[in-house]
Amino acid sequence: MASRLCRAIRPVANFARKQPTVRPSNPLLKKQMKDFGTYIAECLPKFVQRVDVTYTDELEIMIHPDGVVPVLTFLKDHTNAQFLSIADIAGVDVPTREYRFEIVYNLLSLRYNTRVRVKTYTDELTPVDSACEVYAGANWYEREIWDMYGVFFANHPDLRRILTDYGFEGHPFRKDFPLSGYVEVRYDDEVKRCVVEPIELTQEFRKFEYSTPWETFPTYRKLEAGEEEVKPESTEPKK
Amino acid sequence: MAGRAIQQGVKQVKPILSTNHAEAKRRVLNLYKAWYRHVPYVVKDFDVPITVKQGREKLRELFMKNKHVTDIRTIDLLVIKGQMDLVETAGIWKQRPHIMMYFQDTVNPRPPGFLEKFYEGHDP
Repeated sequence: MASRLCRAIRPVANFARKQPTVRPSNPLLKKQMKDFGTYIAECLPKFVQRVDVTYTDELEIMIHPDGVVPVLTFLKDHTNAQFLSIADIAGVDVPTREYRFEIVYNLLSLRYNTRVRVKTYTDELTPVDSACEVYAGANWYEREIWDMYGVFFANHPDLRRILTDYGFEGHPFRKDFPLSGYVEVRYDDEVKRCVVEPIELTQEFRKFEYSTPWETFPTYRKLEAGEEEVKPESTEPKK
Repeated sequence: MAGRAIQQGVKQVKPILSTNHAEAKRRVLNLYKAWYRHVPYVVKDFDVPITVKQGREKLRELFMKNKHVTDIRTIDLLVIKGQMDLVETAGIWKQRPHIMMYFQDTVNPRPPGFLEKFYEGHDP
């Protein structure tokens, strides 16, 4: 009974069964994305610097920071794009780069059921044009990036902090911001209010060793000095 | 020759607000004046145990803390942050502890020398 059931189901799941751990790729979709990316790059040669299709079939458009508003307007208003919805704006901090921050706009086209990712770059002091005039929903996302990374958005209608407390200093998502922060908040009974003080850790910040203390691969054990390895002569030649 | 080399070395950057030092200075002074005029209202609104004079001294101290900054864009960014701070204060979005954060009146200065640390009971 069970085997017959399996036989009935197998042909449906056959495609996934061949290589269960490998994501099935859709060559048609990939080609469409590539064509669309090329088309965008040809339409906006001034701003688009590179177009990628990732291995998960996602289209990425790398643009110059001056071109945020024109490129997003194009993607929103073009008949064959219609990315009317902004899903998210993200930031990435890579301190080793000359322009250390990456700003990532995730757009969604409900008309064509596709997504696109527009990436640009900036540093701590270079302002990026706000996308609020194109997408009203970008308002809070940009405030979040301003708060977390300290990237200034020019022409933003209402740029102020959104996640951190009033009087908070620093931008917590920067890589040079310590995990423990700079200050701690506690209630002080003498002055009858919350006070903010420089953090004082009773011990150094610890890096935990996650590898197991048990011996996982006794075969590959490293011998301590003085010990002698005993092996049957037939399997391994003597050194 | 050297002049050209210097010109090549100077990077053309996008200004945040100001294009020259005079303009940046103007903005800093305007922000200082706005804060200076607002200090009495802060003392009144938030009911903090601070006199107007103490508030203005603290204001001056906080501005002088950044007096070494010469880069125009950095000055602009600091002015923008100061302006946002002023708006948060003037709108009474902040509360009393946030105002008192400037004064750090509960923070004990760290003992400077070895013996002082020992008396305090700190680890050396």
